[in-house]
Amino acid sequence: MAVAAQYYLLLSAAIFCIGLFGVLTRRNALIFLMSVELMLNAANINFVAFSLQHGNLTGQVFALFGMAIAAAEVAVGIGIILVLYRNFSDVDVTKATTMRW
Amino acid sequence: MLVETLLLVTLLGAGIVMLAPDRFAGKLAAGISVIPVALTTYMYYVFLTDYNGAGNALLSPGEVAFGTQIPWLNLGEYTVQYYVGLDGVSMPLLALTTILTTLAIVSAWTPIDERQSQFYGLMLLMEVSLIGVFTALDFFLWFVFWEGVLIPMYFLIGVWGGPRRKYAAIKFFVYTNVASLVMFAGLFALVFATDVTTLSLPAMATAFRGATGLPTFAGYSLATISFVLMFIGFAVKVPVFPLHTWLPDAHVEAPTPVSVMLAGVLLKMGTYALLRFNFTMLEATARQLAVPLAIVGVVSVIYGAMLALAQRDLKRIVAYSSISSMGYVILGLVAFTPLGMGGATFQMVAHGLISGLMFMTVGVIYNTTHTRMVGDMSGLADRMPWTVGIFVAAAFGYMGLPLMAGFAAEFFIFQGAFNAATLGASAPVLTSLAMFGIVIVAGYLLWAMQRTLFGGFNLETDYEVGPAAVHDVAPLAVLLLLVIALGVAPDLSLDMIQHAVAPLTGGGA
Amino acid sequence: MAAFTYAPAIVLLPFVSFLVALFLGDRMPKGGALAGIAATGLSLVLSIWVALDVAGFVGSSTSYNEFIYTWVAGVDSITLRFGLLLDPLSALMLLIVTLIAFLVHIFSLGYMNDEGETGLPRYYAGLGLFTASMLGFVVANNLLMAFIFFELVGLCSYLLIGFWFREDGPPSAAKKAFLVTRFGDYFFLIGVVGIIATFGTGLFAPIREGGQVVEQSFPALAEAAIVDGATGPIAMLETVGMGPQAWFTVLGLLVLGGVIGKSAQFPLHTWLPDAMEGPTPVSALIHAATMVAAGVYLVARMYGFYAISPTALAVIALVGGFTALFAATMGVVKQELKQVLAYSTISQYGYMMLALGSGGYVAAVFHLTTHAVFKALLFLGAGSVIIAMHHNENMWDMGGLKDRMPVTYWTFLSGSLALAGIVPFAGFWSKDEVLYEALIHGFGSSNGLGPVYLLAYTFGLLAVFMTGFYTFRMVYLTFHGEPRTDIARDPVSVGWNVKGPLSVLGVLAATVGFINMAPVAKLTGAHIDFLHKWLNGPDEGGWPAALNTGFHHYEVLLKDVAGVGVGEPLGSIGTLLGSAALSLALALAGLLVARSLYSGPEPVEHTDKLGGVKTILMHNYYQDEYQVWLATGLTYPVARAMDKFDQGVVDGVVNGVSSVSLFGGRRARRIQSGVVSNYATLLTLGLVLLLVVFGLAGGWF
Repeated sequence: MAVAAQYYLLLSAAIFCIGLFGVLTRRNALIFLMSVELMLNAANINFVAFSLQHGNLTGQVFALFGMAIAAAEVAVGIGIILVLYRNFSDVDVTKATTMRW
Repeated sequence: MLVETLLLVTLLGAGIVMLAPDRFAGKLAAGISVIPVALTTYMYYVFLTDYNGAGNALLSPGEVAFGTQIPWLNLGEYTVQYYVGLDGVSMPLLALTTILTTLAIVSAWTPIDERQSQFYGLMLLMEVSLIGVFTALDFFLWFVFWEGVLIPMYFLIGVWGGPRRKYAAIKFFVYTNVASLVMFAGLFALVFATDVTTLSLPAMATAFRGATGLPTFAGYSLATISFVLMFIGFAVKVPVFPLHTWLPDAHVEAPTPVSVMLAGVLLKMGTYALLRFNFTMLEATARQLAVPLAIVGVVSVIYGAMLALAQRDLKRIVAYSSISSMGYVILGLVAFTPLGMGGATFQMVAHGLISGLMFMTVGVIYNTTHTRMVGDMSGLADRMPWTVGIFVAAAFGYMGLPLMAGFAAEFFIFQGAFNAATLGASAPVLTSLAMFGIVIVAGYLLWAMQRTLFGGFNLETDYEVGPAAVHDVAPLAVLLLLVIALGVAPDLSLDMIQHAVAPLTGGGA
Repeated sequence: MAAFTYAPAIVLLPFVSFLVALFLGDRMPKGGALAGIAATGLSLVLSIWVALDVAGFVGSSTSYNEFIYTWVAGVDSITLRFGLLLDPLSALMLLIVTLIAFLVHIFSLGYMNDEGETGLPRYYAGLGLFTASMLGFVVANNLLMAFIFFELVGLCSYLLIGFWFREDGPPSAAKKAFLVTRFGDYFFLIGVVGIIATFGTGLFAPIREGGQVVEQSFPALAEAAIVDGATGPIAMLETVGMGPQAWFTVLGLLVLGGVIGKSAQFPLHTWLPDAMEGPTPVSALIHAATMVAAGVYLVARMYGFYAISPTALAVIALVGGFTALFAATMGVVKQELKQVLAYSTISQYGYMMLALGSGGYVAAVFHLTTHAVFKALLFLGAGSVIIAMHHNENMWDMGGLKDRMPVTYWTFLSGSLALAGIVPFAGFWSKDEVLYEALIHGFGSSNGLGPVYLLAYTFGLLAVFMTGFYTFRMVYLTFHGEPRTDIARDPVSVGWNVKGPLSVLGVLAATVGFINMAPVAKLTGAHIDFLHKWLNGPDEGGWPAALNTGFHHYEVLLKDVAGVGVGEPLGSIGTLLGSAALSLALALAGLLVARSLYSGPEPVEHTDKLGGVKTILMHNYYQDEYQVWLATGLTYPVARAMDKFDQGVVDGVVNGVSSVSLFGGRRARRIQSGVVSNYATLLTLGLVLLLVVFGLAGGWF
């Protein structure tokens, strides 16, 4: 018998919250990026879970999209972090504030 | 087809001039701008000979001249059309626009010495929008042109202007744009409250004039509220006290040819729109509010004239006196008499020509002396006799010297307003008060002339002063001739104007 | 009819000469003067022809009143047209204007050309335009056209007073002249607009076709409203809520504003003495003989409208009488030749107003005619002296010019005797008739007019003495005694172009009074009061019946409506002789006092004996001061204060809105800290907040 949908949702919510917590508290850009990945994957879990629940493949297709976006995002993100390091000799996201007002 | 040709030729011309080298951009632009002049002259001729019976474009759309009507878009439940045409009110203003543009371009040859191709391109672009404003008969189309005027104007002031050009340009843009918003709100409140399905101006006029049972707010009918909102919106453009303060700044900072367009044509957009929207579409409300509106007009007349008296900068003097002159237009419009409304429209044309002439003359003097301050120069008559002669003639035109267009216009307005039924017992009093403007205007112009033109020659700046170039004086002479022609034979314009406003006035003085 | 068809040319010829002089003048000999002389000469000939036509000597009709140009056809509104009204009054005025203009053009050859002036084309263009405008005003058949040309005349006056623009004085004087008259014209314009709004027409005289009135005139409509009570068609009365007589009086007084400005009556007389900054021939033409006459002429032109309003008549008479005396007192102390003449001009126009106000229509026109001749003569004579004196105008620097310039002296003397009112020179006849009319109407009028007329008469009588005094003070100081400066010892001689006009006018000044020797006519019963007949017309039919502008009609109106009647305290002959003797005696007394004070070889100033009065007189009763104060001390500071208000409050609000927006934006942008964690926090908080709001609104909790 399959696992009930609410457990998947709980799992996804938990992962999302971990990611959110990371985004809000961590200052290291790499950890930041990882936290964002966690949040994305929490969304993917939801997609797949509902796909299973409704017997509709659209959700799984979107999960694939989500993974592709995550991969692309990592590539861009790492690039940004590299530039960040080059310019500020640090990957602390709170230091790079020259673009404000 | 003529209106489309007019728009396209000018637009194309603007593009060509933008790409042309700076060296001959000015001459090219002048050459191109002659085409619209020729076209409008032909149209004017047709009006004088064939279209004398043409009525008001909004009230009797069947009689529109040179009309084109093509369905264009559907916005929600409203149909938008490409709809243009002319009647007796818009024809003189259209002619004024094209002629003044050409002359302004020629007068720019001397003072504009950088980025010429862009300057002249923008001038032509502005002409496209102005032609559009005076010919469009669909609100959507009209509004596009109405706002389209602002963009070239913003750059013309902001790039080629004086020391405080950025302040003036932004002030002008924001002020008039906010005003458009207010007007837009007022108009669309009515559109939503009535059952119009197309945004064509005649349809809107019919719907608004026949609207019954409009909702009321705080005891005021929606018609009244919309009227006031639209009036405020247009009054900024006119400008009417106390919404006028963008004007002196814009005039002082703008280069002279732009001032010419600003005073000569842009201000008339405001009064033209007032006539088309407030006084045609909401005629009943306008008649009810006639007395307060007339007071606004009279206050503008006296206030503008008094402020002109306090200025030292020649351009500021003319700028404030424009406020004064446009106050007469308001007075004439609210009279709702053939001479009052006809005179008001005639005054738009007359003031366009005369203020353009004044600004150009001041410009010629500035090009030579590099100062505009009364007190920094004297005795110019000695060095540049013809320019000064035209200055004197223009100033007397401004003062309302008979047999020049300004007197004719002001006289018609006074005569039309003196026993206007809409103003009742206050008509003679208000008219007499407004007339006092002609004394004050004589005061400040004579004072300024005495100080700058006469007496021994003296100049605070170190420039050689000699007679102005022929191409500087020629536009002045052309304008002066037009002013005199309209003053001697006002029926060249007044007749078609009166035919067009006749459905509104319904007889009278 | 023939002459009337060519009448527009009287106006157009000088206009053509204006164009010719302006654009071709510098390529023509004499700077365009010849074009002006030819044009005014032709106009003079045509005017004579018109006058002969009006007199009935030639042609078939004795009057003409037709529209010739439609200015505004009008859709649903009134039609505004230009037209010509030729009757004895306008024909006479045409003669005066063209004659003086012609002579002044010739004189200018001597005054301007021979003196090596620059800008001659401008000068002659100005003269041409002036002549054209003045003639246009004279022939105007409606009030609007009259106003239009009235204003153009003002423009020409401005241009010509300011002819020597390189100096400081003339431009200032020109400005003042235009501004002060413009102030009067403001009221005139209200009057024009009011009359057209009230009556629907500005016609002076009805237009007839085949004997039927096709367009009625406004004096006739006003008369109908008052006399017959036909106020029905006049809707304006209801608007203003006045009775017809009250409202017509208001309109009449408004028009009078323009008259007071142009004819330099108190309190708008201040521009005229300043206007003497212009070239002397201009002073002769414009500021003495013709333009200043425009105001008086206008009252005469629409006399039918004033004759029905006792209040307006009283105001005219009082203003006139007071101005006559007031200006004469100032003329007593002036040191410059032209200044004396300027004040005497103001004073003489006061007499004309006095006559018009007190029902002496013929007397006013008579004095207008004689004054035009002798005042033009005096100014041209003064011009001749000024040429001789190298443009020094101070009489104290002259003296003894009698022997050195005899033609000027004798003609000037003729003009002076006329001005002083010594029998038999022109001024005597006309001034005597003015005073006589005021006197008899003072004794015979009702409606409270009698005392007013007597008061005005007293003013006028006192002014006669003053006039005799200052005129001969001027003559003695200028021409008699010993030369007081080197220039006066050896003056520049003047040419034929100066002497010619002087001689013509000198003869006329002595003789033109004979056209209306009313006292002699009355005493002898001989019908030699030609001017009276000229303005009266035939008793039945003819032009008075057609136009309603005959004197007889005015007399009836004055008597029946305004209550102007005749009273002769000393009997018919006694009053006549008494009045004439009194004014002549006073004039002679003035002359003799001047002679006793100033006729010696080395005259001294006696003005100091006047004490404090001298100061007041030299300062012209501080009239200029208060008017300048009104402009610079009151209006200008108010304008400055309004400018402050505009910049501070009105524009301040606009800039304030902009400042508030900028300030708010500057605060709000602090949220954009640049720290990505803050953005994330805000995002999260925002999401939570939204969820809570939706939850509360959606009823989840």
